[in-house]
Amino acid sequence: MTKRIFRATLTVALTVLLASLVLIVGVLHGYFQDRVLEELASRTSYIALGIEHEGMAYLEDGFPNDCRVTWVAADGAVLWDNREDPAKMENHADRSEVHEALVLGRGHAARYSDTLSQKTLYYALRLSDGSVLRVSDTQYSVWMLVLQALQPVALVMVLAFCLALWLAGRLARQLVEPINAVDLNDPGDEIDYEELAPLVGKLRSQKRQISRQMEDLRRQREEFAAITGNMSEGLLVIDRDTRVLSYNAAALRLLNAQAPAEGESVLTLNREPGFRRCVEEALAGRRREELLEREDGCRRLFASPVELDGQTGGAVIIVLDVTEQEQREALRREFTANVSHELKTPLTAILGTAEILENGMVKAGDIPHFAGNIHREAQRLIGLVNDIIKLSRLDEGGPTAQWETVDLHDAAEEVLRQLAPAAENKQVTMTLEGGPACARGVPQIVEELIYNLCDNAIAYNRPGGSVTVTVADTPEGGRVTVRDTGIGIPPEAQTRVFERFYRVDKSHSSGGTGLGLSIVKHGAAYLGARVELESEPGKGSTFTLVFPKITE
Amino acid sequence: MRNKFDEQLKRLHVELIQMGAACEDAISAAAEALLKGDVSLASAAVESERELDRRERDVENLCLKLLLQQQPVARDLREISAALKMISDLERIGDQAADIAELTSYVRVPDGSGVLHIADMTRAVIGMVTDSVDSFVKKDLELARSVCAADDRVDELFSQVKQELIDMIASDAAWGQQGLDLLMVAKYLERIGDHATNVAEWVEYSITGVHPSNN
Repeated sequence: MTKRIFRATLTVALTVLLASLVLIVGVLHGYFQDRVLEELASRTSYIALGIEHEGMAYLEDGFPNDCRVTWVAADGAVLWDNREDPAKMENHADRSEVHEALVLGRGHAARYSDTLSQKTLYYALRLSDGSVLRVSDTQYSVWMLVLQALQPVALVMVLAFCLALWLAGRLARQLVEPINAVDLNDPGDEIDYEELAPLVGKLRSQKRQISRQMEDLRRQREEFAAITGNMSEGLLVIDRDTRVLSYNAAALRLLNAQAPAEGESVLTLNREPGFRRCVEEALAGRRREELLEREDGCRRLFASPVELDGQTGGAVIIVLDVTEQEQREALRREFTANVSHELKTPLTAILGTAEILENGMVKAGDIPHFAGNIHREAQRLIGLVNDIIKLSRLDEGGPTAQWETVDLHDAAEEVLRQLAPAAENKQVTMTLEGGPACARGVPQIVEELIYNLCDNAIAYNRPGGSVTVTVADTPEGGRVTVRDTGIGIPPEAQTRVFERFYRVDKSHSSGGTGLGLSIVKHGAAYLGARVELESEPGKGSTFTLVFPKITE
Repeated sequence: MRNKFDEQLKRLHVELIQMGAACEDAISAAAEALLKGDVSLASAAVESERELDRRERDVENLCLKLLLQQQPVARDLREISAALKMISDLERIGDQAADIAELTSYVRVPDGSGVLHIADMTRAVIGMVTDSVDSFVKKDLELARSVCAADDRVDELFSQVKQELIDMIASDAAWGQQGLDLLMVAKYLERIGDHATNVAEWVEYSITGVHPSNN
């Protein structure tokens, strides 16, 4: 700034100086020349008058020798000169002022000397006898004047330079001070220069705009972080050089990795073959799905390419925890395999017996025995299919039967009546204790639950054992307890007995479908009831159904 | 200029991770083939070995390009020279994994871990390779040092396996053929352990600037 001001000041000063110099020299020189010519003219006419009267004698008489006087004859020969010998001087007829005087009566001219340092002004007048009188005077030429003025001018220039330097510094400081005083972070309304007002206004509005945009960005980022942070799915965004652009906490948790450093490759998080395939394929522009089986569970990866300007600019990888899903899938596969097996066993027995009967290899007396076999196996098959139907109904949300208030005591009594023949077969005594208690539910399901528990209690009992059913109304709700004195369930099997087709006794010798307790579990869940199990191997088991309290 | 250099260094890092992962693939395929007697997995190990060779050449080219064009100094130079050394170790691990895979068609590891500790040895060596690659990925000095310590355990297991094989052959000469093949497998495993240690040492060098062998 100082430099610019200095340059401007100096330029102005020097321009003004030179302009005035040229003007003064030009105008004054012209003026003085006119003055000199006028004086020369009057002087010439004065001398001419003298010569007209006295002739050569006037010249010889002498007069102040301050100017040169030449008398030229009409043919151009010099008659007299006050500075030089006329005889040595050449013919003056071709001198412009003489020539002019000879023709027009008077003439004047100006001629520079050889060095240009001096200028000679001539004035010529024709006398009455036809001769010409010329008077001349010398003066300094413009160039000489300028040259002579050069020293003071240079001095002024140096002065101007110093003054400009000082002024520029001062001016710059004074100019800049208010500008510097403006607080750029918070430009106030008071500004010394009104020229700066639009700038400051713009600054202010831009600052507002920027802070608004920053705020928007921050909010968006926070929203994004909040959304992705609370996602249970892992999210990874990478660029085409596999560098991580964005990730969420779930991704790190699911991959069991540490937070990557800025610009780190995604392969530092995980480098299992499946993961690498996902990254490679997605960056090659293809979608890819992979299952990672890890020690801490199963992860499903979905990798999709991100298109930017028509080419793959990166990829998004979603990580899902599918451990439970995979477990359920495994359970379902196991169930299907079990069902097929359970269905096939009685069918094989029926088929074999039927074939023997068909071939007539059985004596007439034995037919009832074989038919009994078929009957028993077919019944088992029907029982199994019925159980599966019940289970799948419960799985689908239960039967459409009406909910009503069920008297648990009545239900238990009905079950005991139905099971009395079976109990008698196994030599098991059954007793019903407790008082009336009610629960909300579907009567068929409630009965089914108690039936299954009691059926198991009889089937897994020992001869001479007992089954005690206790119905009680507790503050928590209706409660049905089925206690037996049977073989009991080992602790490690207690959590598994509710699984479909799970049997403690792998030999299947005790009959049953293996679905009874599974139905109990699903039925109880459907009614909102809870099943509790206490058991000691060799002593017996106690199953308790706790129904939710009727809230009306 | 610097930007491009950083870019290339990052790429080198990624390439090395991929090479390390390929190396893990090779050895776990070989180990599975060996322990489960699944010969089809052996070809996977050989496949991984080929990939490793290809990657080694790529990384080598990248390193040389970096050295010639960027003339790195200090830490960068250390990282690149360590990378150059590491890739040859990784490539050797791949070779030995492929060698083990080839032997799996002839040998059968006897069941029961009490008889022969070759399964333990395999697991220990896989752990070492994984840890050495991990220490590079995470620039984890502690992990790198733990790899060097684990090598002693592998050496110990090697002498144990050797003694067990001697006993086996002494008890039944029919074991002779298999016993020698198993000894080769054990030796390869032991060598892989040494290479994993080398990798870990180069990781330590690239972090601290001092190679552990100088201490």
